[in-house]
Amino acid sequence: MENIKKTEIRYPFLPSPVEVYERENGHKIVFAKKEGGLVNISSWVKTGSINENDEINGISHFLEHLMFKGTHKHPAGYFDRTLEAKGAIVNAATWKDYTYYYVTLPKGPENSYFYEAIELHGDMMLDPVIPEEEIGPAFSLDDNNVKEKRERHVVIEEIRMRQDQPWTKVYNEANYNMYKTHPYKRDVIGFAEIIASVSRETIMDYYRKYYTPNNITTIVAGEFDSGEILEKVISAFDFKGRQNTEKNHFELDTPEAKYIENYAHINTGFSIIGWLGPVACSIKENIALEIANIILGEGQSSRLYQNLIEKAKKPVFNVVASDYYSFRDGGNFFVQANFKPEYKDEAVSMLKDEVEKLSETGEREFKKAVKKLKVRFAESAETVSDIADTIGYYMTVCDNIELVEEYQKELENINLSEFKNLVKKYLPLDSAVVSVLMPEKKD
Amino acid sequence: MKKIYLHNKIPVIFKENKNTPRMALCLYFKIEEQEKKAGLYSILNRLLMQGTTNRSAEELAMELDENAIECYSEMKHDFVRFKVICLNEDIEKALSILEDVVKNSTMNDFSKEVVKMKGEIEAELDSPKSRAADAFYKTIFDGLSYGHTYTKTLEAADSITEEEVKESYKNLLEKAPKVMSLVGDFDEKEMTEKLNKHFGTLSNPPKEANDDNVEHLTKNATIKVKKNDASQAQIFQGWRVPTIFAKDYPVLMLLNTILGASGLSSRLFVELRDKKGLAYVVRSSYEVYDRAAAFSVYIATEPKNIKTSLEGFEYEINRIKTTPVDETELENAKNNLIGKRQFFTETNLQQSSLYSFYEDKGLGYDFEEKLIAAVKKVTAEDIQRAANEYLKDPHVLTVLAPEEYLEF
Repeated sequence: MENIKKTEIRYPFLPSPVEVYERENGHKIVFAKKEGGLVNISSWVKTGSINENDEINGISHFLEHLMFKGTHKHPAGYFDRTLEAKGAIVNAATWKDYTYYYVTLPKGPENSYFYEAIELHGDMMLDPVIPEEEIGPAFSLDDNNVKEKRERHVVIEEIRMRQDQPWTKVYNEANYNMYKTHPYKRDVIGFAEIIASVSRETIMDYYRKYYTPNNITTIVAGEFDSGEILEKVISAFDFKGRQNTEKNHFELDTPEAKYIENYAHINTGFSIIGWLGPVACSIKENIALEIANIILGEGQSSRLYQNLIEKAKKPVFNVVASDYYSFRDGGNFFVQANFKPEYKDEAVSMLKDEVEKLSETGEREFKKAVKKLKVRFAESAETVSDIADTIGYYMTVCDNIELVEEYQKELENINLSEFKNLVKKYLPLDSAVVSVLMPEKKD
Repeated sequence: MKKIYLHNKIPVIFKENKNTPRMALCLYFKIEEQEKKAGLYSILNRLLMQGTTNRSAEELAMELDENAIECYSEMKHDFVRFKVICLNEDIEKALSILEDVVKNSTMNDFSKEVVKMKGEIEAELDSPKSRAADAFYKTIFDGLSYGHTYTKTLEAADSITEEEVKESYKNLLEKAPKVMSLVGDFDEKEMTEKLNKHFGTLSNPPKEANDDNVEHLTKNATIKVKKNDASQAQIFQGWRVPTIFAKDYPVLMLLNTILGASGLSSRLFVELRDKKGLAYVVRSSYEVYDRAAAFSVYIATEPKNIKTSLEGFEYEINRIKTTPVDETELENAKNNLIGKRQFFTETNLQQSSLYSFYEDKGLGYDFEEKLIAAVKKVTAEDIQRAANEYLKDPHVLTVLAPEEYLEF
């Protein structure tokens, strides 16, 4: 009988603590209980573009697509067809620190759909075949006569789609320039040239290296019996002695100011001004930037909206907002705006001014933001998918679900002066990266 | 779940979900008169959250945020809907703010709101997909307010007057039939009193019955949109089809599921994406309004694939018209459709929204059960008949691509 370490973590707005089981091989299984007929089963893998270099940029995401192409037990399409025929939503996503695969579905008569989903999900995670015919032959992007178009082309279409999105373009340019050497600088989706030519062998090597027991957390959220489901998950996740891999470590970058301007066939101007944030597991520092994000750019009461649109003396801006992405080694904080192109310089300067004025935040605004963050936890406990996503994030990016509890405590404790100090530390104007996308010519 | 009536006969659907921390409330105003100018009701809707006689826009936004109350309105052509979500202890505060917004909006910032709306539209139209969708919807819903897209709104915005918006607000308050729904952990008696206090005196005329008469397209239309730096072509093809009030509504829902809406296993996804590698996004949609509905297929693909994609659409549509869906595929589609309905009713807000949506349409708050029963009865012959009856000319085709690819 395998030795399994069990811990329980109090999780806000859930009727019982979250159960964490750690297996001898390092595979972690987490159960979160929520009443209802739906269950979510997901596996979070600690790999994404963080483990890529210029030669294999995009491989994590390409592999995510190819994981759906069959196992030794089941051919390509069986997984989607079988589970979707039971009302399931199945999908996956790849980001810088992680890749995750999920199934959300009704439990079915006597839990039959639930059991089958665990089995198929485990099979997909541990035994992907990734057949050559599903990847499709390697090809040159200049070749206009490619006949056999398979998954390589699907991913290249996804790349094309993103090339047509102005917000994605302006963000990617900012993100690339925020980091000097850290792999976070690369876009997760990678380059068409790489996707067109990467071999099956390279993809399988990458799979074997990173889809290891200690890199995977499997989460089940819903209403079920823990003992019964633990047995089923363990049985579905037989790693057959697969060896673990050491985690990659990267040096943190020193932020440096930059200005980048690009052009596209658009009629309005887009801009992103970005800063490097703290490491994901520094909870108080992350909370400070989440508060800054709410005060600055979330909703109609935010400063950017009120000062730059609602009370604007002239219509410089069409859209303003801010956002904060938390990454393991240091995230992105950014303000984003769409503006009338004739006001480009003014727009950038006005956005920077608003960030600088965060140092004048008052108690009322600060408390408003803290309350919003508290309610967000209630919100994220309303669906099985949201619960699993929060747990997956903490288990995968921070390696520690207990940070959920710490988050609650820090949110109660953080004060205005600490907030201002952290904003000063992380959002100085002399290290802002400014990316602007301007109209080239009108269609 | 139960239905009660306020003093003014506004129906309220109550559903108690014990031990949930946030309550959700929806308030529907049925729009029985289509907007006369594109964007008129959108401006009205935006001004609803822009201040009252008691609160400025900033005070309103601040008060909502300080109490972590979400309160917003949405304009969906056939109705204006308020949605409110708050912690259980804040419900009285939330109701009093909603009452103020509903009854006392000043509509004072009209000119500024028009400028803001135009700016947001200009930003949105820099997305090729939005531009293509705009061209598609204004054509397929030509002559109806559902075709009042971004570009139509930009054309009409400067002709809209403040008086027209204020008149529309007055009509909404006085002439629109209303429906409410509250879902969460509450005491029914206490909430009935509260809702009567805040909304029991609103004017609430009886609603006109909906019918399944819809206007049809009269001729084919092909719209080509030039976008020379587009990496992908954006292709929409669609037909006018019956609405939620028609007998064939469940049949069309299933047709949509089979063709392109079941996720990773629909016919368009498997044939055009998995087997031919033509796209990352390919799907079908069934968009339903009170007076019209559109069934459409969409693909975003490398511009040189336009012809192959259109042939792919044609092949799949012909296949569903000529070959009956086999029993397994039909059964799978039904289970997919029915199973997924649970996702639309997972949160208190989703439940509140769905029950009041059906009640507002006059279908009854429990329409979901009837719909599921009707879906179960659909046969392969029904699917084939509907495909032949509805997916035929006239149709609308919109293609956005670089100029050199628009000759197809």
